[in-house]
Amino acid sequence: MKEKLLLVDDEADFLDVLSEFLRDEGYEVAIAHDAKEALTILGARPVDLLLSDINMPGMKGFELIKEACRLYPSLKCALITAYDVRDYLYMAKHYNIGNIITKTTPFNFDEVKLLVKNILTEDVFGLDHYMSGAVEETRVRSTNEIENVIKQIVGGMPDLRHKRKFRQVLNEIIVNAVYYGAKSERGDRKDSWPQEVNLSSEEEIVIQWGTDAEKTGVAVRDQKGVLTKEEVLYWLERNATRGEDGVSVGLLDEHGKGLFISRETIDRFIVNIKRGHTTEIVMLNYKEGLYDGYRPLWIQEF
Amino acid sequence: MNIANILLVNIDLPLLNAQLIEHGYNPLMVSDIPSILDIDVPFAVVLIHQDAIGEALAEDMERLYFVSSGVPIGVFIGDPANIAAGLRRALDEGTLERVYGHEVESGLATSRIDRMYLGAGLETIARAHRQAEDDKELLHKEISFRNRVLEHERELNIAGSITSGLVVVDTGGKIFLINEYARRLLRIVKNDVVGAAYRQVFPDKISRFVENELKRISGEWKRHEMKKITVDEAVLEFATYRMNDYAHNPIGLLMLINDITGQENTTAQLYRSEKLATLGTMLSGIAHELRNPLSIISARSQMALKKAEWDKDWATKNFESIDGQVNRCAGILNSLLEYTRYKATQQALHKVGEILDETLTHVEYQNIFDAITVEKDYQAGLVVFGDRSRFVQIFLNIILNAADAMGGKGVLRLSTRADKQSQVLVEIHDTGCGIDPAAKDRVFDPFFTTKEPGKGTGLGLAVAYKVVQDSGGEIWFTSKPGNTSFFVQLPSGKRKVYEGKTAAG
Repeated sequence: MKEKLLLVDDEADFLDVLSEFLRDEGYEVAIAHDAKEALTILGARPVDLLLSDINMPGMKGFELIKEACRLYPSLKCALITAYDVRDYLYMAKHYNIGNIITKTTPFNFDEVKLLVKNILTEDVFGLDHYMSGAVEETRVRSTNEIENVIKQIVGGMPDLRHKRKFRQVLNEIIVNAVYYGAKSERGDRKDSWPQEVNLSSEEEIVIQWGTDAEKTGVAVRDQKGVLTKEEVLYWLERNATRGEDGVSVGLLDEHGKGLFISRETIDRFIVNIKRGHTTEIVMLNYKEGLYDGYRPLWIQEF
Repeated sequence: MNIANILLVNIDLPLLNAQLIEHGYNPLMVSDIPSILDIDVPFAVVLIHQDAIGEALAEDMERLYFVSSGVPIGVFIGDPANIAAGLRRALDEGTLERVYGHEVESGLATSRIDRMYLGAGLETIARAHRQAEDDKELLHKEISFRNRVLEHERELNIAGSITSGLVVVDTGGKIFLINEYARRLLRIVKNDVVGAAYRQVFPDKISRFVENELKRISGEWKRHEMKKITVDEAVLEFATYRMNDYAHNPIGLLMLINDITGQENTTAQLYRSEKLATLGTMLSGIAHELRNPLSIISARSQMALKKAEWDKDWATKNFESIDGQVNRCAGILNSLLEYTRYKATQQALHKVGEILDETLTHVEYQNIFDAITVEKDYQAGLVVFGDRSRFVQIFLNIILNAADAMGGKGVLRLSTRADKQSQVLVEIHDTGCGIDPAAKDRVFDPFFTTKEPGKGTGLGLAVAYKVVQDSGGEIWFTSKPGNTSFFVQLPSGKRKVYEGKTAAG
């Protein structure tokens, strides 16, 4: 059975081309030009995924999703925008929305396709979902191994831009996966974290990496699922919001900056969470010049 | 007594004597102090050259004070020709009193005794002449009092203490008073300008202004707005006041002068930042508006490239072109957005030298740098606080422009030093063609470019300007052909850290 999508956008031309594409991908697609029309359609027939523009005349995307989810609790939702997602982090946190697709130029069909599929199937874990090439895998069982793993990964990505930054981000993500993810150490007590940690087979961190024609990718996965979408949104918003002094309100926070910096540094920073089971952070870097523009917000939590 | 006798001790200037006589004074010349005792006529003023005092014995001085009791004594130091010149000028212009007083300032006397009496010379000669007979005593009291005031003023050094230029020009066009600060502001290097005609002392521009103001004070005086005059790139602000005597007759023009160059720059920078902010908002709006249609064009062309089965070559050619154009637009968009949008990123401390070095690594591989020699002169220990990539952006734009100006051949010198008030100053110097004076005011304007169409967006320095400003710094430049320097002043990171720690408790 075909999954049913509802696209909402005040740009008729955009609706037309995106719906054509998604139909080609095998979905049943309905379109609405504003929130009111969308709510009417939702009332008339079943919809699996609501994909709405944020900035529309009348009711905006966030309110539409809130109202739609109130009426149809099992409905899945995502937003789409041509604007800067950082400007919407506050709203995303407020409405607890994890997915905002960006209209990039060139338009990134593959990304839209993947995100729609991810949301609908809830089959998101594993770097192979995001790469069209071969994926390598290793496991981190001790803090002593982190440095070598990073060396191995970055060494295999000769074309990677901003290598030094990427190494830092990778280190931040893996270290957090070990201490916060696997060992549940408190993020605000980093100075009390033990120097060395060994992980049991139920705790070990899975790391995958690979390269395809368009991008490089790394996934870091723990087996606990401690991190929550709410937390991720909280820290992202805190660091994106600037206080009256013009400095981000999260500047002096003891932790939480790593997430934000990582998202700013990496082209696609994807957080997949299965509560109590798995947290996976997928980092994709496109080859230079590809899909420039704003970065989507991409957090799945099940 | 109708003629005022002036006793000149060790001052023998025939021409001066002749002029004194011509003006109704009677000069009496003696060669040394003991000889004064031989003079048996009354005299109104005693002028002694310092050398004569140096040679005199203490008892000679006592005798001098005794015989000249109640008479002002002036002591001159330095070249008698100077004194003569001053006196002569005064005689010619009928302002002996004033000039006599002025000579005190121009280095005639330094000891206590001189000051006491030379200041009194202001009006002594003329008034002693008129009134010596009847109220000598009263006059003397007045003179003493005035001198005490003068003395007091000198000791307090009021005029010298204020950090504004203070100038008084009398109605006759002579400089009556000028403090050290005013001399500096007006670039006056000559020493003895008190008593001189302002025209011979002030820069032309200022002279014209003073001339106008002097005319005004003799008419109906109205305060008007402060006047700004630029002297050697310094912007001076003049406030003028009319000085009256007790009968409310104008006697001179008082001017307070302030250097407002810095403020002028601040105003200009504020204006420019305002302009940039408005433009930024506009650009960001345009960028957002463009994003939608662009994504549609892009989506359409991608679909068409995949789908077109009929006349595929035609479709491919055309749609590839569409896609290419879209990408080009996207490039412009992204640079515009980069310019308008604060990019929240990692704030940290960075060594300034490291930032410059990193910037160089971004550009050095380019062909244009092949024949450019890079010199570095970094002061150790300089740090700034902020987003490294933003700092790199500042220097990148300046360095690229420098390379361009040198046409790929020359010396690029990067230097850093600690500036006043916890600032870090970076200088980027090149030996290129320099900035056309006509373009000077527009260098930081967005979209201003001297490069060929397509070679520059005209945003490079505007971006640098914006970033520097966002960082709480300042950017400026000096330029001559073969000698251009861009200066970037940034708040020292050390201070930032300190403040941060304080704020965090």
